[in-house]
Amino acid sequence: MKKLSRRDVLKAGAGVAAASTVAGFPSILRAQSKEIVILGLWDQTGAFADVGPINDRGMKMALEERGMQVLGRPIKYITRDGATQAGTSTRRTEEAVDGDGAKFVIGPWSSGVALAVSEVAKRKKVLHLFSGGTEDISGARCHRYSFQWAASPYTAAKTVVDSFMKANPKAKRWHLLVADYAFGWSVEKYIKEVGKTHGIEFVGADRHPLGEREFSNYVQKAAANKPDAVAMVNFGGDAVAGAREIFNFGLTPKVPLIMSWSSGVEELVQLSPEIRQNIWVGSNFYYTADTPGAKEFVKNYSAKFGNPPGYAPSAAYSMTRLLLAGFDKAKSPEVQDVIKALEGIEVNDIVGRMKMDAATHQNIRPYFFMRCKQKAAMKHETDFADIIATGDAPLPKEYAACKDIGSF
Amino acid sequence: MKKPVLFLLAAVFLLPLVVRPAIASEIWIFAIFGLGANLLMGYTGLLSFGQSTFFGSAAYVAGWLMKVQGVNAFLALAAGIGVGAASAAVVGYLCVQRSGLYFIMLTFALNQLFYFTAYQWTSITGGEDGMPGVPRPEFFGVDFKDPVIYYALVSGLFLLSLYLMKRIVESPLGKILQAIRENEVRAEAVGYAVPRFKLLAFVIGGAFSGLAGVLYAMLFGIVPLESISFVFSGNVIFATLIGGSGSLYGPVIGSFVFIWLSESMSTVWARWPLLLGVAFVLVVMFLRGGLVEAWTRFWTWRSSKLKT
Amino acid sequence: MLYALMGLGLSLVTGILNIPNFAHGALFAVGAYLLATVAVALGNFWLALLIAPLGVALLGLAIEYAGIRRLYAAGHDYQLLFTFGLALILSESIILIWGPIGSSYLPPEILRGGMDLGFTMYPKYRLFVMVAAGLLIFATWLFLEKTRYGAIMRAGIENKEMVSLLGIDIRMMFTVAFAMGAYLAGIAGALTAPIRGLNPGMGPDMLGIAFVVVALGGLGNLLGAIAAGLIIGVAQALVAAYWTEASTVVIYAVMAVILLVRPQGLFGIR
Repeated sequence: MKKLSRRDVLKAGAGVAAASTVAGFPSILRAQSKEIVILGLWDQTGAFADVGPINDRGMKMALEERGMQVLGRPIKYITRDGATQAGTSTRRTEEAVDGDGAKFVIGPWSSGVALAVSEVAKRKKVLHLFSGGTEDISGARCHRYSFQWAASPYTAAKTVVDSFMKANPKAKRWHLLVADYAFGWSVEKYIKEVGKTHGIEFVGADRHPLGEREFSNYVQKAAANKPDAVAMVNFGGDAVAGAREIFNFGLTPKVPLIMSWSSGVEELVQLSPEIRQNIWVGSNFYYTADTPGAKEFVKNYSAKFGNPPGYAPSAAYSMTRLLLAGFDKAKSPEVQDVIKALEGIEVNDIVGRMKMDAATHQNIRPYFFMRCKQKAAMKHETDFADIIATGDAPLPKEYAACKDIGSF
Repeated sequence: MKKPVLFLLAAVFLLPLVVRPAIASEIWIFAIFGLGANLLMGYTGLLSFGQSTFFGSAAYVAGWLMKVQGVNAFLALAAGIGVGAASAAVVGYLCVQRSGLYFIMLTFALNQLFYFTAYQWTSITGGEDGMPGVPRPEFFGVDFKDPVIYYALVSGLFLLSLYLMKRIVESPLGKILQAIRENEVRAEAVGYAVPRFKLLAFVIGGAFSGLAGVLYAMLFGIVPLESISFVFSGNVIFATLIGGSGSLYGPVIGSFVFIWLSESMSTVWARWPLLLGVAFVLVVMFLRGGLVEAWTRFWTWRSSKLKT
Repeated sequence: MLYALMGLGLSLVTGILNIPNFAHGALFAVGAYLLATVAVALGNFWLALLIAPLGVALLGLAIEYAGIRRLYAAGHDYQLLFTFGLALILSESIILIWGPIGSSYLPPEILRGGMDLGFTMYPKYRLFVMVAAGLLIFATWLFLEKTRYGAIMRAGIENKEMVSLLGIDIRMMFTVAFAMGAYLAGIAGALTAPIRGLNPGMGPDMLGIAFVVVALGGLGNLLGAIAAGLIIGVAQALVAAYWTEASTVVIYAVMAVILLVRPQGLFGIR
């Protein structure tokens, strides 16, 4: 190998600069303009590797219902693996936007990653719908391009605390176990706010890092406090590990456990019936929801996949339908028109009545509260719980952190 | 100009036609990162399992400077290089006395320490959510927001880095480092202050990593938490090994193959890490020395064929 | 105790084979999955606890024979690449075989629930695991200290050349050591399954801790690994009690500090 002389390098540098500024690189293949390209950003690897494939199912079902077209145009559905990582997800979103011409993005599952993707949507001026978990997208970091489908953390906390206290008016001593990141803090804050109105005493509140698998120390502390109820604010693997440990310590079934922001089916299936005794669950969706939309969807989904849908496919399904409803209302496939149409849109979907708040892009909708069944009462393997209450109290104005949704 | 140089220039120009500019940029950024890792691993024989410490620290600091202080791209790059070198100096100072498995574990542990610091320090780093909103400030009136122009910047800096690295490994310093790799005791006996040279390798490698880190943050507009995680440290080592450690072009080829493969495999099959694992095993079993070695072997084989 | 068990297995492998085994966590996960599968199939937890780790040991045997064996002369970098690739293959295979969704496996009936120890509540099953792990560690120690083969293995950690000069088949010894390491990882996984349930990510979660234990205890120092496992467990529990957010950082901070002060580990000889 001959030495690379300084001159060569300079030439190379100049060449690159010249090519890019004067001629420009030939443009990358663009999607046909007639097609509407929608990206489903679902994790196939990483912490939510188990969720991505079923997210994908729900989204596909919603699109197939419409024959893969809207406004008389074909829909091109593409999906990418976000790897449950902010870097990978933002990168692949950008590539899908630049390379495949995607103008509408749904996902991903993790709220932290979704926040990063939301920044991409803002920069690239594409519409972004995501389920929820963080308060920021419809709060402090709200902007015109992102919408939150899931209930506000306040709605969730209010439904959970009110409904639980109604069923257990004497359980006044609560111990909290909270995932230590934005989502956990906001739900914790509202649980404490709402708890005040019931005179609940919070005898302990411990925060655990995301991805914690060793809960024995936390549970030991919780047990020492002798609470009337333990409430967890965490999600996915953390919630499962926590619930299991609480059972191993013999806290449940004696003491009720509340999973305040649960994925429902996806988490409950990982616990056995013995562990589930005396667990109370707050969730954005449960498949026995008494709405025409849910009944239809659950029937079709079960027929296709052999088991009822959990939260993940249902959220993807409902978000996709919301987006399509936006197209219908806008009568235009342009991003800004669809955004305007979605602002204030009211639809009746699988969770019941939903209204997208124009000022904050927060979906105002019911939240579900369930009680897990005894093993003997289960009619089939996935008959985990009964819905005992729903609530849709919107976030009071004084808490709203989204002061100005901004312009395009 | 000889073959490798022509080849590289062709690659730099043709790559964005084959893959999207964002991936193309990422490949060269990762290659810069790999160059730094290779100086330690391939040339000095120090298997540092903590290269993302320098990459991530630089990305965070430079990202913060651009986002909060509004500094321009040039200063941010300079700051990133500085932070990369400085953090490498600290880690290097603590590690150069150790050897073998202990060295690997210590770099790994320090990497974890930095990782969890970034994880907990949410007010600055955003913790799990990453630090979003890193701008691509303009510089001398050139607007880097256009992906193609940014690609030009990245590939230019990559060529510059490669050239610098070539000079470094061919310089007396490079020869000393290689002597340390071959036989540390002898190098010491000949009178070289081995720890000091190792430290120097750390600092230079860290500077390259820092540069790559800043470019990465600017590319995606975010400093994700994983950029300082040990997975990233692992990736750069594996990419370098696949390409061929201890050869100048090894990490370049390795990053190309690693990123391109993992990107294309991930759209084909959700269980793509399995294929990646198989690839790792195959490289170890049959292709020590990586693709560079395969290439050389192929040419020796061909010329021997031609002769007979 | 579990940390000690994991660390012990890894310490055997790193100490005798001088290989950074990144697949140790994956073997741990395989142990857990095997236990649940066998236990459900046979309807007997105790039998499964016997069989599952043996399965992992067999897997370890196969891996050593087919791959690791060729790596002893290679640099750490290639060993790292190989075992990392192996870890990827194993954990992705777990997803392919058992699916990506985790599940729970309950302890046997008589070990369920908590026990009031007077000062605190503690799950019965965890107490059982402590005893079982303690017995296992003791058995391993007995084997290494009191049997002829154990003595040879200890000698192998100190000085491989000498052992092979004495006419002992050192390759055979490596194979046995690796299989033993795999067995210990497998049984740690099997014992853990009822506590932490099953999910594909459980291997990597444990790996980091196992490495810390080995580094703290000193490479190849088996008693050190045991002690370090206990220390890490206690340190984590203490920190979790007073400053929960830092409980993950603390193990790495402890490790970094100790390695800086005592590079050979707490009880290291090399």
